[in-house]
Amino acid sequence: MGDSDSELELYTIPSSSRWFAWEEIHETERAAFREFFDGSSVSRTPKIYKEYRDFIINKYREEPSRRLTFTEVRKSLVGDVTFLRKAFLFLQNWGLINHAAPSASDPDRDGEDDDCRVRVEDGAPGGIRVAATPNSLKPMAAARAASKSGGSAAGGSLKLPPLASYSDVYGDLIRQKEVTCGLCGDNILLHYSTTLMVVFIIIRMATDINLRGGNYGEKRSAEDFVLSESSENSGKHDTVWTEGETLLLLESVLKHGDDWELVAQSVQTKTKLDCISKLIELPFGELMLGSAHRNTNSNSANGIMNNAKQVQSSSSDGQENSKTNDQSPDLPKENEQNGDVVKESPSKRQRVASLSDSSSSLMNQVGLISNVVDPHITAAAADAAVSALCDENLCPRDIFDVEEDEGLETERSSLSEMDHRCPKDDIPLTLRVRAATATALGAAAARAKLLADQEYREIEHLVATIIEAQIEKLQHKVKHFDDLELLMEKEHAEMESLKDSISTERIDVLRRTFRSEITRWKDYSYVKS
Amino acid sequence: MKTPISSLYRNPVKFRMPTAENLVPIRLDIEIEGQRYKDAFTWNPSDPDSEVVVFAKRTVKDLKLPPAFVTQIAQSIQSQLAEFRSYEGQDMYAGEKIVPIKLDLRVNHTLVKDQFLWDLNNFESDPEEFARIFCKDMAIEDPEVGPAIAFAIREQLYEIAIQSVVSARESRMSKKGRRGAEYTPVSKGGAVAVDLVKLFGPKSSVVRKRKEWDVYEPIVDLLSNEEVDALEAKEERSFR
Repeated sequence: MGDSDSELELYTIPSSSRWFAWEEIHETERAAFREFFDGSSVSRTPKIYKEYRDFIINKYREEPSRRLTFTEVRKSLVGDVTFLRKAFLFLQNWGLINHAAPSASDPDRDGEDDDCRVRVEDGAPGGIRVAATPNSLKPMAAARAASKSGGSAAGGSLKLPPLASYSDVYGDLIRQKEVTCGLCGDNILLHYSTTLMVVFIIIRMATDINLRGGNYGEKRSAEDFVLSESSENSGKHDTVWTEGETLLLLESVLKHGDDWELVAQSVQTKTKLDCISKLIELPFGELMLGSAHRNTNSNSANGIMNNAKQVQSSSSDGQENSKTNDQSPDLPKENEQNGDVVKESPSKRQRVASLSDSSSSLMNQVGLISNVVDPHITAAAADAAVSALCDENLCPRDIFDVEEDEGLETERSSLSEMDHRCPKDDIPLTLRVRAATATALGAAAARAKLLADQEYREIEHLVATIIEAQIEKLQHKVKHFDDLELLMEKEHAEMESLKDSISTERIDVLRRTFRSEITRWKDYSYVKS
Repeated sequence: MKTPISSLYRNPVKFRMPTAENLVPIRLDIEIEGQRYKDAFTWNPSDPDSEVVVFAKRTVKDLKLPPAFVTQIAQSIQSQLAEFRSYEGQDMYAGEKIVPIKLDLRVNHTLVKDQFLWDLNNFESDPEEFARIFCKDMAIEDPEVGPAIAFAIREQLYEIAIQSVVSARESRMSKKGRRGAEYTPVSKGGAVAVDLVKLFGPKSSVVRKRKEWDVYEPIVDLLSNEEVDALEAKEERSFR
């Protein structure tokens, strides 16, 4: 885990080579090196091709500013030089190697690789894309951000993700979830203001923290990326709904209910995801459920703001509720997003199975979210939601009070139970739905807050432990140094005495020599020379 | 026209130069009346033989050699082409064969040492292109080096191709009907095919160990005038 948490390494490759992925071999490669994939040869297998490819690319990336030459590569690879050269040229033509290096200044070369290669004269080349480092679990985050920015402005040069501060501040937390949360994250960022982001981040932090506790070994691959990108695109471009399509959607929803596959089939022109998001966007409190208590079409930003307030306030103590809450139709959407967030968390395993289906209904998710938290939190959240609703709708609170006790139970329970209850009660379904979603929101937020607090305490504790250990280590070191100094002093003293004794001895010897016979020196004159 | 490589693994290949272009390396070393003419070039065996004499005349004229050289040159080329053609139509080898090619040559002031692997079944291979890239990558300026390297590769490939024909013929005679499966290359001449399973098997990596890189690294040395003179004198002595 330690390695994959290290810094993301970003490399730029031409956009034409976006098919490249470390984990797999693309059709382009298969077509270029057909003999490696028909299994007819010992020395030509996909594995060997991949080894060649990965080695050459890695070799280039050791020093991207330098031009890698074929002669340099082939000394490290076992294999037919003709083929190695072919592979090398292939990678070079696709810009996977040598594209950031100064191009060969050889005027009389035929333009065999100049045609396809992206030349880098000044600045970054057009159509840049960020590729992943090998074995990294979450490299696609940056890629997605980059491609998203490419959508907002005509791609001419390298762009930073538009929300640089956002990803900096929450970088560590969000990195893990960037890919899997892509859908909801993008929708929020694209469609709504930053107020909502606060809510979103709170909840996301919670799930992240949760994630750290659990194991998250899920593999994020290129498909994840592709999926989220395409859905993002569809969110941007394909959500233009005609009247007819909308009507068709509503009809089919009425007919098929929650079976989104069928709904998408009958709408035909839109995907399942489109249908779901459209339905969520629709003011279906009016259209679907016929409520008369509401203003016609409330401003979504306003609604979100209030939602945010509500979430925050109910997360803080679970009792305080917001007075200004006008229930906008975006609330269910919000809830849907929460559902998605929760859905992404594999640590809550018992819910993954039931929630993995994106077409599971709103109420199901409400029930499941409510299940996550303690009963009393749910109760508080439900209470808050109900009173907010009552304030808004000017309807007597005792509608709810009648079934308060049992209502809390049901709100935490599954949809089937909800349905069961519906016929015998006389509260408008709209209110019921809103109360449920509000409850779920509040509950989730409360849980997030709890988890965050807990994690924070944990971290504080750990940091304290670390600091203590460090201090202890330092003290030990100081002690050792003291000991060492003492030893040195002793040794020094010994050396001094030894020096004294040697000099006295020497003097003694000399004196004796002189005394005995001076002429003797002449006999041993060779000693001096 | 490219033949798909995979189809070549099963059936034995008819003798030819195992490169994209079927060019025969021709080496000339002729001495008449104290004048010595040494040269090396490639020849397309499908060219008409009348070209040989034309080429010989032209060479003699360009190099201002005595006319006696014309017949000698033409004869030498002719006999080398005849040798090549004598192998044509015979089976060369079956199955994959990758051989090490070693270069150790001096061209004027440049000394080149190198070794690499060559797939005899890869008929896209192009020694001339390889040599050109080698010179470019190693920043060799002498224009004679590239052709010399290409020629050295071709010579070795030619040698190996001849060996393969001979050994294929021998193995066919020794065990009729069982050739191919248990075919082992004759080890004479030193150009033994590499052990494919050992090098390319599932257990080994095709990326060499780091300490081996130096062994397979091409070495290019520029010699001083004195060194060249000394070497040439030595070669001259050994020739006589």
